[in-house]
Formats: sequence, structure tokens, C-alpha cells
Amino acid sequence: MKRIVFMFIFMLSFFLLQGCQNEEETIPDNDIDVYRLLMDAEDLSGMANQTKSIITVDGDLGLPMSYQGVTITYASRNASIISNLGVVTRPNECWIESRDQQGLNPEDYENLNDNWPVLLDVTLTYEGQTRFAKLLFVVAPREGFTCQKYLG
Amino acid sequence: MKKLLSLFMTVILIGSIIPNQFIKANDSLIYLESDYERLHAVIQHVENVLKYGHEYNPETALLPDAINTLTGEPARWTFPNRAAVPYSNLANQQNFYRTLVGLSRVTGSEKYKNEAMDILSEFMTNYQSPNGLFNWGGHRAINLDTLEVQSTEGPNGPHELKNMMPYYELMLEVDEERTLRFMKQLWTAHFYWSSTDMNRHGSYSTAFDNNVFGQAIPDHVIQFDEDGNPIIPADSPGLLPFVNSATDLAYAAFALSNHTGDPVPALWAKYLMTQYNRASHPVTGMTVYQYKSTLVTRSPIECADPAYTNSGCGDRVARQFRDFGSIAREANVAWKNTQAVYVDNILMLLEAADKYGVTDFVDWARQYMEGYLEYAYIRVDGKNMIVPMFIDGTITYGYVVPQVGYFGPSNMRLDYVPMPTTYLLPILRTILQTEGTQNQEKLWGYFRDIVYTYGLGDIGEVGGANPKLNLDTSIDDPYALMAMVELYDKTKNIDYLNVARTIGNNIVSEKFHRGFFVESEIMLYSRLDQPDTLALLTLDAVVRGISLSEMPFYLADSGYIHGYLLADDGVTEDRSYTQNVIYTKTIYD
Repeated sequence: MKRIVFMFIFMLSFFLLQGCQNEEETIPDNDIDVYRLLMDAEDLSGMANQTKSIITVDGDLGLPMSYQGVTITYASRNASIISNLGVVTRPNECWIESRDQQGLNPEDYENLNDNWPVLLDVTLTYEGQTRFAKLLFVVAPREGFTCQKYLG
Repeated sequence: MKKLLSLFMTVILIGSIIPNQFIKANDSLIYLESDYERLHAVIQHVENVLKYGHEYNPETALLPDAINTLTGEPARWTFPNRAAVPYSNLANQQNFYRTLVGLSRVTGSEKYKNEAMDILSEFMTNYQSPNGLFNWGGHRAINLDTLEVQSTEGPNGPHELKNMMPYYELMLEVDEERTLRFMKQLWTAHFYWSSTDMNRHGSYSTAFDNNVFGQAIPDHVIQFDEDGNPIIPADSPGLLPFVNSATDLAYAAFALSNHTGDPVPALWAKYLMTQYNRASHPVTGMTVYQYKSTLVTRSPIECADPAYTNSGCGDRVARQFRDFGSIAREANVAWKNTQAVYVDNILMLLEAADKYGVTDFVDWARQYMEGYLEYAYIRVDGKNMIVPMFIDGTITYGYVVPQVGYFGPSNMRLDYVPMPTTYLLPILRTILQTEGTQNQEKLWGYFRDIVYTYGLGDIGEVGGANPKLNLDTSIDDPYALMAMVELYDKTKNIDYLNVARTIGNNIVSEKFHRGFFVESEIMLYSRLDQPDTLALLTLDAVVRGISLSEMPFYLADSGYIHGYLLADDGVTEDRSYTQNVIYTKTIYD
């Protein structure tokens, strides 16, 4: 009799534990962690550190290429100023030459729009999952730049 | 022994049944106390609007556009001559009528819908111009003191609808003849058949034309150059074919075709919206605010002053942003009027696709949204933002405007543009109406990031698998609520409903004050066009198992009045909008 009761309790426990195990299997949390990791890679890796000020020197921005296992790559929309590896080459000319209503160029408008906005598209990848982000930098032209490109 | 075996088998049987019962318990929702409290708040709001709205002038069933939540009085428009006029503008009340019908649907009581029908009936019977246009919209309202038509734009203000998208289903039920007459005259008054121009302003003097759609559909306005780029003609004599007026014309024509069975109005609607599609950028996919630039009709002397921004001096962006060359046109700006282009316009396209079978519109919506988000959406300091640019992707961020112009003062610096929560619905509805998971993935990725950045947590993978939402969110936003309700309705994933309930509870606790829904506790006026009550009712409907297709559908809440009024200094004349001068007032003003 005791054996039967023991067996009954054992079987009941087995089914209950089995039920718990099944429940765990139906709610995997790996993917959710990956998504948060990908968000953290954008927010915490320091990739946006130099987007707050005007870049006035040539050289490597030091963009992070990884963060806690996340691979980070960049694609510049103006690679002649910031390369896909985050290296700055300041341009020799201004961004926009501004003039007035009649197309004249009084001194008032000089240096008004010299600095270039440059967008980088960011790809963050971890274990086959990918998300995208953007970074916008502002780069000043190098000393002695020219500004003769009025489009209006 | 046999008993024990029998007991053993029973336990196993129950064990195998229990998990299924849990699943079933998730399927059949329980109506909670908090569900009732939200509905009760909506009912209180509606009852108060009806009570105080009707009390002001018992001679009419018409309601004011907004109610002062301290006094119960109607909001007033103060003209330059100091006359303070309580106004009723039914174009600005459409979400209230949708709320009334929705409330009847969820409560089973017809009294709310009957109220809506009584108000609309009085309005349509008494305030339709002889030419068929209703006295409503951007520049006309009904004076609740005199019950006469009041213009805010001189003595004879024009007809103007911009993304107001009236509740035509109900209007047709109330007065079919007058509604059909209006739908036709909307085109007669606003569309110029000979030149394919469209004017946001329509005249109340234009004669009614019953055969308004009788002409042959002309060639497309937008043609392409040898490189495949759209040519935007600069031949519009100041008519400005804005997309926010086109959506109303198209919506009326689709509703007209759907009701009468005559396909021709819908063909014209598609022709009109096609011009915006053809004018969109062939590489980025971003679309335009207007499909024509204005013709220069003013003299060079007049137009030499940059502060003179009359459209007769030509394209106002070409003038103020001429530094950017030929891309600088009003049509191509992607940092201003974006609510009209990427929210209201998209919602209308998707509604037409869903209700009237214009399936191309889903592809267009997807093209516009994907292009806009791929090129311009950015997260900055944990916020959803837009990088200012033209539709070809030319960035304008950081540009310092040299001179004053239509888009702002001189020395104005273009910065990131905040992306409001209104973007949630057009993005989500585009995803939900797009066929195939593969085609949904790109937009879902942006949508997932945008929702996360608003603080709602992770919506999970495309299709709604494995969400990890922030069930304790403090967000009290009606668009976020509708998005979560629509996600639940599509996926039946209970997590979306749970977060929707949290948002709904937040809306009630943060916005329901003094018996009315207001923008926040300190705001003075309760606006009839606010979307909160309709959003709460959609949540109530899905909890009750009512299909969203049986509920009034949110399309827009863009109603406004524009015109001349007395400035806040009490002396000077101003020209502004209700949204700027009336609905910004607090209980402390």
C-alpha cells in the first residue's frame, strides 16, 4: 500500500514538474534579452559621444565596433568626410554658401552655414539578430576652406 | 487497489486537462473593475458634455467645440471687435460623434447614438449652404448665441477641411440626400477640372453641379524627366494643392462611391492621390506635401521683401531655402507638415484600402513610411526624433536660415523634429495591412524601436511573438492605447491587452478631471474632438469581445478654427488658430 501511495505521489510530482518545464519552454527569454542588448549597444556603447559638439580635427572618432558581444558597423552617407570606419577628413569647402534674396553675398552671411552635417547608418548585430540606428555628426571644414558653391 | 488506480488515473486525466483550461481562461476575458471604471469615466464625460453643452442655449441641439471645465460654459472666439462668440463647428466634433456611437455599441443603449443623430440632423437641415457645402471647417462656425453662421476670415470665409475626415457613415444614416450633396460639392468647390489644380479653400458661391464627376479623367499632372525624376509644375496660381485637403476630398469620393455603387468618384479620388504618389522621390520613397508649386503672379518689387510671403511670389521654400538649389520646394520639405503627410494621409490611404478595396494604397503607405523612417528617423538622447531633410535625403539639420520667410524668422536654426506618438497608428496599421511577414519586417523593426523608446517596453518579434512590455508604464497616450488594442485584436496576445489596460487606467487618472477629459489637470477646456474617449471605448470593445470592425474607427483629430481674433493683449488684432489661443488656456489663466 505504501509503495502504491509513494508511486502515486511520485507520478503526481512528475506531471506537475513536467508541466512547469513545458511552461518554461514556451516562454523563452533569450530573444528579448538580445533585443535589449541591441538597444543598450546603441545607448551605452558611447557611439554618440561626439555627436554633441562640432568636430574640428581630422582623425579617428573612436566609434565602438562591438559592445558586449554585439557587432557594430557604420555606413556613412558622406564617406569623404567621415569614413565607414569613423575616420574624419575635414572638407576643404563650406557646407552651404548662403546669399540674400537677390543672390548677393554680403558679409552678413559669411560663415553662416559652413559646418557639414554627416549621417552614419549603424547596424548592430548579435547572434543573427539585427537592428539599425543612426548617428548625426557636425564637421567643420578645415582652415583656409573655400565657399563658392551657391546653388540658388 | 482498484480505487487507488482509479484515483491515479483521474489525477492524470485532470493533469492533462488543466493546461488547456489555462489557455482557455486567457481566451475568454474577464471584465474587471478597472474596465468598468474607465467606461464609467467616459460615460460621465459624455453626460457632462451633453448636459452643459445643451444647457447653454436650449433652442438648439448643437454643442460647442469645447467646454470650460470650471464653469461649464462654451469656449469662445473673441473677434477683434471684442465680440466673444461661443462657437459650434461640427467639422471639429467628429470624434465626439464616433464616441457617442461607440458608447451605444458597448453599452447597448441607443440613447447616445440618438443624441449624435439629433445633433447632426439639426446641423445638416439648417446649416447646409444652397450650393451644398456645410458651414463648418477652418473658417466658419455656428454662433451659439444667435444660431447664425459666423465667419472667422472676414465676412465671407471660405470652406476648408484639412484632415477632418467627417463621420460619413453616420451622416449618411441621418440624412442621405444632404450628405451626398455635400460630398459632390466638396469636389466642385475645391477641384479645378480644367487645370487639375486643387484649392484648400472652396467658395460658398460655386453653383452645385450634380454631374460633378462627369468629365473624363485627364493625363497625370506629374510627368517625369529623362532620368525618371518627377517634374513638379510651377503653374498653380496660388491654389496650393496641400495633401491635407486632398485626403478629405479623396475620403469623401471613396465614401460616395461606396454608398452609391458608382465607381467614378473613387476613380477621381485615386487620380488625385496618384499625383502625390508620382511626385514622391524615386529613390527614397518619401512623398510630397503638394504636387504643384505656385505660379509667380506678384511683381518683383513686391516680392523683393522676404517678409512678404504671399504665394504669388512663388514657391515659399524656393525663396527662403534657395541655398539648397532645385530640391528646395514646398513639396519636398520633410521636416514640416509631417503630421499631414505621414500620419493623417497614411491613415486615410489605409482606410480606403481596408473599406473600399484600394489595395495599391497599402503599398504606397508602406513606401512612404519605410522611406521616411529609413532616411529620417533617429533616436537622440532616448527620444524619437526626425532629422530635418528634403525628400531626396538632403539633410538640412543645423542650417541657419539667412532671411525671414514663410517657414520662420531669420537666424532660425533647423534642429531635430520630435516624433509625436501620433506616428504609432499609421506605422502599425501599415504593417497590419501589409501581406507577408517578410514585407512587414522592416517597418516592424522601426515600430519596435519607436515603441521601446516611448517607454512601452519591447513589443517582441514581427507578428507579436515574445513581447516584454512595460506593464507599469506611466504613458497616458490615446495613440499608444489604440496601437496596443489593435495589436491585441490582431494577435490575441494578452500582453498587449494588459499594457493597453494600464495605459487606459493612466489616461483616466491623468486626464479625467472635473467630470471631463482634458489634456492635463490644469487645462481649462475639454475639446470634443479629443481622441481619448474613442480610444478608451476601443479598449472596452475588445475586452467585451466586440470586433473593432464594428466600432467607429479613429482617423484624425485635426479640427481647428483659423482666422482673425483679438490678441491676448486685449488691444491688437491677431490671426491664429484655436489650438494656439484657446486650447492652450489653463485653469489659472
